[in-house]
Amino acid sequence: MRKEFAHDELMMPGHLACQGCGGTIIMKHALRAVGPDAVCVIPACCWTIISGNFPYSALNVPVLHTAFATSGAAASGVRAGLDMQGKHDTKVLAFAGDGGTFDIGIQSLSGAAERNEDIIYICYDNEAYMNTGVQRSSATPERAWTTTTPVTHPKSGAKKNMIQILAGHKVPYCATANIAFPDDLYRKVRNAAEIKGTCFIHVLSPCPSGWKIPSEKAIEVSRLATHSKVFPIYEVYHGEEYKITMEPDEIPVSDYLKSQGRFRHLKEEDMDFIQERVDYEWKILLQRSMMEPFHMNF
Amino acid sequence: MALSFMEGNEAIARGAIAAGCNFFAGYPITPATTVFANMLKMLPPKGGVCIQGEDEIASMGYCIGASMAGKKALTATSGPGISLYSEQISFAIGSEIPMVIVDVQRLGPSTGSATRGADSDIQFLQWGSTSGVPVIVLAPSDALDCYVLTVHAFNFSEKYRCPVFIASNKEIGMTKESVDLDTAVLPPIVNRTFYSGDGFLPFEAEPAAAPPFLPIGGNTLVRQTSSTHGPDGFITIDPEVIAANQQRLRDKILMAEESLTLYEETVREDADTLVISYGVTSRAVEDSCQQLAESGTPVSTLSLKTLWPVPQKLILEKTKAYKKIVVIEMNLGQYIEEIRKVVPSSNLVFYGQMNGLLISPDKIMEVITHG
Repeated sequence: MRKEFAHDELMMPGHLACQGCGGTIIMKHALRAVGPDAVCVIPACCWTIISGNFPYSALNVPVLHTAFATSGAAASGVRAGLDMQGKHDTKVLAFAGDGGTFDIGIQSLSGAAERNEDIIYICYDNEAYMNTGVQRSSATPERAWTTTTPVTHPKSGAKKNMIQILAGHKVPYCATANIAFPDDLYRKVRNAAEIKGTCFIHVLSPCPSGWKIPSEKAIEVSRLATHSKVFPIYEVYHGEEYKITMEPDEIPVSDYLKSQGRFRHLKEEDMDFIQERVDYEWKILLQRSMMEPFHMNF
Repeated sequence: MALSFMEGNEAIARGAIAAGCNFFAGYPITPATTVFANMLKMLPPKGGVCIQGEDEIASMGYCIGASMAGKKALTATSGPGISLYSEQISFAIGSEIPMVIVDVQRLGPSTGSATRGADSDIQFLQWGSTSGVPVIVLAPSDALDCYVLTVHAFNFSEKYRCPVFIASNKEIGMTKESVDLDTAVLPPIVNRTFYSGDGFLPFEAEPAAAPPFLPIGGNTLVRQTSSTHGPDGFITIDPEVIAANQQRLRDKILMAEESLTLYEETVREDADTLVISYGVTSRAVEDSCQQLAESGTPVSTLSLKTLWPVPQKLILEKTKAYKKIVVIEMNLGQYIEEIRKVVPSSNLVFYGQMNGLLISPDKIMEVITHG
């Protein structure tokens, strides 16, 4: 009887996420890519709640829900424990939000990366503290609205570049990914699972309530993020070798920004400013990927 | 201001503004986030600063820096955030840095339940720092209390140069109720004593008092250390100097017990039972004793607003006339042991509940009648 109902999904129905949540889609693809021989480490984030109250449990792998600041450290501890039992092939998947990665969790992540722990760390980045009601994080894009960066004083300063920070640790593998390109996301997590050492995957995770978009538009908006080059998707091997994995259509950033309520207050000059920034960052990415020559100023 | 509909967290923010608070730093955490949200609305237009830290450690660091620069600082969090504040709470206690720390308590331990109330941290707030120095903890029972006690908290922190805690609760912090702030009786605002004269020694003080203050970055060179220091603020290993400073930190709080004691009581004639409670539980206690009085059983109540330092003199005096003392807590007994130090055990009846629910007046009546 049991066999007839068997299936290979590791993320199950019965989760408590909002409609259109990117975090659930990322988890679904990531777990399929990592496989059933995995332990999931989740700090305080939306996923603390999403995995469900008894009798529901959306995850069919062991889960350690840990304190907010500690995913890198707790994952390192699980890794050490598994290694002592000879379970070197069991994957440890840390799965944290942007607050738990960019802000409060950056110290333990940096520690794990510096030791090159054999873990996969996925950051599902919805660009603010969504679980507590949309407060800005250091992943919030410049000039976006959140409850703590109201439209009169929108977020100042650029979004922190986590890939650069992780690349600075010379970890074997970093990548960005997007749920609008699930085959690419799946391949990157699969890749990470096969690499020994710390692998960091930064995935854009649309949040309909925080971004103020209709839930059915989550994938569409995510796709625009990459095609407008706001969130380019690429890989970095050993902190040095950059590979862009999706050629953007190069649509204007305003197409992406105008699709979301959190950018509704932006004026034309804001759009131009953001376009300029995005073009600049894209150029740097091209140079790092050796797709455009470096220009010396002397 | 006429009757308004507000939650305890907003009342705390309004109390802070009334007390002259001009700095807030915090980090999002349910159920304390709306203190931050309200400060963000109210503080910048008044020229104050309101900052979101990258975590609790940073938020507390901000407050310590701002307070040392002479500002009146507020922060708000819940149990898990107090854990991360802990090292710097010790710093603020040991180096006599005034600030008000709001703990909108939720059900612990650890992450616990973000949206379930409990008086989880009553012992933690007193003992969650190193070296066992006494602290001041005030417990509001409704939105009006949140407003008034925040002003008291700022006054105490300024006078005694120490962090003062407000032990609120999710059920008060995030529940809107009708409140008329104009009916509040606020104490006169106290500001820390500034040093005047020459030869400033940052920790030279009367035996049971806080030293006068000078801000860091002012005209006088001020040094501050988290290490063991003497009156001159330099690190010391002199046992006599260390002992005197330890004693002073203790005495300045414990010897002020009476002036720190805040409470409410309802004394009913011919009652032989007194119910002691604090926080949101006091409201259910008051309801149940009202009902019992109407049915012919008079029961008196004592609602403690100051939990630490333990108002031992008050408890001793108020319990004297009663045969039975009932203690009700929204935890499994964190404060009863403090009362047991003053009141003979044979007279005590205790009921504690920690299951994410408020304690109902029916349950309290049952405990009073059959306990």
